[in-house]
Amino acid sequence: MAWQHISMETKRPQLSPDEMQQLRWLLGGALTLLSVVTVFYLDVEAWTLMALTMLATIAVLVRPTWPARVPKLAHTLAFPLIAAFFLGDLWIKGEMLPAMVRLDILLLLYRSISYRQRRDDMQIIVLGLFLIVVAGVLTVSLAFAVQVMVFAGCALAFLLAITIAEAESNRRVRPNAPNLGEPPRWAVQLDWGRLGTRLQAVSDWRVLVLGGVLFAGVVAVAALLFLAIPRFQLENSLFLERFISKKSRTGFSDSIKFGDVTEIQQDFGVALSVDVPDAALAPASPYWRMLVMDEYRDGGFKLSAALIHAAVAGERTAAALLGTERAGAGAPAYWTFYLESGVSRYLPLPGRFGELRFREAQHFRPSTELAVVALVAEPATMTAYRVEGMTLADALPDPAFAARWRKRDPSTGADPLLQRRINLGPEDREILGRLAAELGDGGAAEFGRMASAWLMKQHGYSLSPQIPRGAGDPLVRWLASREAGHCELFAGSFVLLARTAGYAARVVVGFRGGTWNGYSNNFTVRNSDAHAWAEIWDEKRGAWLRVDPLAADAGATAKEIGADGAALARRTDRSWTARFDSLRVFWYRRIVNFDARSQEETLAAVKTATQNTGRRAREMLEHAASALRAWLAGPWDARRWAGVLAVIAGGTGVIWLWRNFRYVIFDFRLGRRGRREDPVRREAGRLLAQLREGREGDGRGAAGPEETETRAELQRLRFGARETWREPVAVLRRARGVARTLRRRGR
Amino acid sequence: MSDFVEAGKISMARQAVERLRANMRRTIKGKDDVIEQVLVCLVAGGHLLLEDLPGVGKTTLAYALARSTDCTFSRVQFTSDLLPSDVTGVAIYDERERKFVFKPGPVFANVVLADEINRATPKTQSALLEVMDRARVTVDGVAHAVGAPFMVFATQNPVDYEGTFPLPESQMDRFLMRLQMGYPQPADELEILRTARAGYDAIEVNAVVTRAEVSALQALVAEVFVEDSVLDYILRIVTATRTEAEFKAGASVRGGLALRTAAQARALVLGRDFVLPEDVGALVTATLAHRLALARQTSDALEERRAVGGVLKRILSSVALPV
Repeated sequence: MAWQHISMETKRPQLSPDEMQQLRWLLGGALTLLSVVTVFYLDVEAWTLMALTMLATIAVLVRPTWPARVPKLAHTLAFPLIAAFFLGDLWIKGEMLPAMVRLDILLLLYRSISYRQRRDDMQIIVLGLFLIVVAGVLTVSLAFAVQVMVFAGCALAFLLAITIAEAESNRRVRPNAPNLGEPPRWAVQLDWGRLGTRLQAVSDWRVLVLGGVLFAGVVAVAALLFLAIPRFQLENSLFLERFISKKSRTGFSDSIKFGDVTEIQQDFGVALSVDVPDAALAPASPYWRMLVMDEYRDGGFKLSAALIHAAVAGERTAAALLGTERAGAGAPAYWTFYLESGVSRYLPLPGRFGELRFREAQHFRPSTELAVVALVAEPATMTAYRVEGMTLADALPDPAFAARWRKRDPSTGADPLLQRRINLGPEDREILGRLAAELGDGGAAEFGRMASAWLMKQHGYSLSPQIPRGAGDPLVRWLASREAGHCELFAGSFVLLARTAGYAARVVVGFRGGTWNGYSNNFTVRNSDAHAWAEIWDEKRGAWLRVDPLAADAGATAKEIGADGAALARRTDRSWTARFDSLRVFWYRRIVNFDARSQEETLAAVKTATQNTGRRAREMLEHAASALRAWLAGPWDARRWAGVLAVIAGGTGVIWLWRNFRYVIFDFRLGRRGRREDPVRREAGRLLAQLREGREGDGRGAAGPEETETRAELQRLRFGARETWREPVAVLRRARGVARTLRRRGR
Repeated sequence: MSDFVEAGKISMARQAVERLRANMRRTIKGKDDVIEQVLVCLVAGGHLLLEDLPGVGKTTLAYALARSTDCTFSRVQFTSDLLPSDVTGVAIYDERERKFVFKPGPVFANVVLADEINRATPKTQSALLEVMDRARVTVDGVAHAVGAPFMVFATQNPVDYEGTFPLPESQMDRFLMRLQMGYPQPADELEILRTARAGYDAIEVNAVVTRAEVSALQALVAEVFVEDSVLDYILRIVTATRTEAEFKAGASVRGGLALRTAAQARALVLGRDFVLPEDVGALVTATLAHRLALARQTSDALEERRAVGGVLKRILSSVALPV
């Protein structure tokens, strides 16, 4: 028992200077890792550097003596080499920001593998901050918000450790060049397990809790400020994204080689989140059109230059784009799209629209004819746009094409814009002609049904198709075989067949389907939903009909508007992934795509909620008061008197119990904590300490007689025999008064 | 400890102590702290080792204490040829009674001043062992009780090593406290210079406390209450001396007991019936320093005393006061 007391009552241990250095080393390494990780979000080519830096940082964390083995020459040459690297990088790549990011990582690498002095530690913070800010501005992602908070906390702890360690080491002589010769003592002695135990021993949970609360408070205040300040576009004011010429890692580009879409399907990441005005209006399995491709050449489809020339308008910079649909009556319904970066510069759109509005002005090229909108540059950040008057239909009217179709020369079909060209040799044409002849000639819709059914009968679905060897066009070889294939092969084959049969047809790529996020109530479309399908020109309707040979009911273009709720319910995703995705959507809805209007809405909602709460509280109070009045006005019979007296007696009893037995309660609490200490002694000890501090703080004059007497009585309560106590409660009360007086005088 | 000291007893004790203190202050100028410690030692019923240079008032202090009570006082000047029997007494053959008769030595008094104790041989020094421990002398198998109360007041000069036999540790452990006198303040010394008397025998001190009162005070010490956390505090201090790297060995159990008893006595001297942690802190050096030896060699005894004191101060500041 006595030994337990010893361990409990000895002073809290403190970290030795060496241990402070070890802590500093750890925090510096953690900060380096944290900031290097942010580069993952940027599309900068620095993979080797990042991997090297992370490995090196982890290595020197595990083996802190290793920096001592770096030869002296390396330190001498480090900065000239880094400068040369930076200049060479700029010279060769010619991109400012990626070069700076690589320079930053290189500096971090050097700092992480050498022993650091204070300014070097500061450098780590500044370098890390640069990476974090760049990544944050460019990506505006939820992960960034988390990261910047972790970084801030880590950096604060790091600064504290630096300050304490420096204050400690200032008293001793510091070596000027810590990186030469022997590793420092702290590095030799470093044992993370022991340091962990020591940290546990020295850290006071109260301080930790206080620090955590303060940090949370700062974050909360920052969040409130963010909600309240006027919006402005950070990214545009910094021009940072202009520095990065972005090449998408995955995603659609202007031309599709076979297998490209399938490759995108391997990626399960979110590509698009869509807020739909009314879940009932949401299609069960929408087709998100992105790009139309007409020209078949060398085994792949692409958007032909001629079609671009004819159907795609010039570059334009605007925040809004008018579509072909006119808004109907009633309140406008908005579809809000959040397109992740790296997906495509073509905006997914499920149909024709009235108006498309960006958060800020964008450079883009629209094509009303093709119902496609393309941004000029690959967006480096998430792109948000809102569409009003969205019309979903499986037929896309195209008057411009109809006019051209009427003017065609039917004998040659030479007009390059007719989207009928096949570009194949005579053998392939012959095969195609034979196959097309089997499908009959019952109009475009009928042909679509027939061809889809035939394709599905002939070929199975497979993500890893086998294209038979041989001469001629690979797509025709596949078509003529019975091999299984993926969506691109189906769509491409269909287009070739339709064109052979004399119809205009084209390949459309984009996404099909998506899941309904049950938490945030929006569509989530993943890269794995990438799809390719076809459109065939129906002369009678003057519209392009969607034909998806792989759709379940292939021929019938599915009725999707006002889709059955059951289909949607089937697609509702309530998995953990959906939970995380809903966070992302929340972030986009509330933080990123937060314009002045929604800000006002939020503030108004907060105001209304506050007012409502206040009103309700007042109502409750008034209600209680009137009930009390009514009760008082009621007849006072014996039962009521008895009740009132019982309540008074009960209250008095509670007060009496509190005044006389609260130490018993303390005792119970203390007993649970395993300290068999008398509560009166404890309280007296606390007050004695207060008196002592008050006296020290006061510093003027001697203690008055009352104070001296109180002190003596307290000492008796604290250290005297229990039998000699005289009215401990009264003594404690008096002592509290004296302590208060002392404190007041001290101030 | 259910019984506690009644208020009346405490105030009586306090009055007695105050009379003693006032009386001694008339003779010993400017040494109030030393007087207090001496009183503590007396009340605790312990023996005192006074260590200082010659001529700073060691003997005067012992004499003043003895004379302030109605205790018998004897003085033994220790020399290298002093024999144990010169201290304890000897049995001599009585011609008339035809048997050995015990002739009591100088220890048969209430306050024994053992002057320059380190000048005697270890054999003679150890003759004091039994009498200090048990307050009796055994000669020829017969135990003779010495006076009650009984207090040995030893002095030694730590600087002068010529022809001395340093006290063995077992002997040191039997002293409750070791004190240094130190030079008086200039103002106090001036007053000493003004007084006309020459030797300590010329001091006129009246007995203000009876032998019975001293015995009662000593009995009262055991009743002074020591709270558990204060006992813990003592234990932690004693334990800390044992784990201290600078000490050859830590304080003994007797050392811890001495610290407790002395703290009780100090509480009583200051008129309290319970011990405060301050009582413990004030007595750590006096009760423990002479029981501890440094692990390293020091140039001389004074240096060692200072070093031990410094380490004890450090230990005291590192052990948390009970709150």
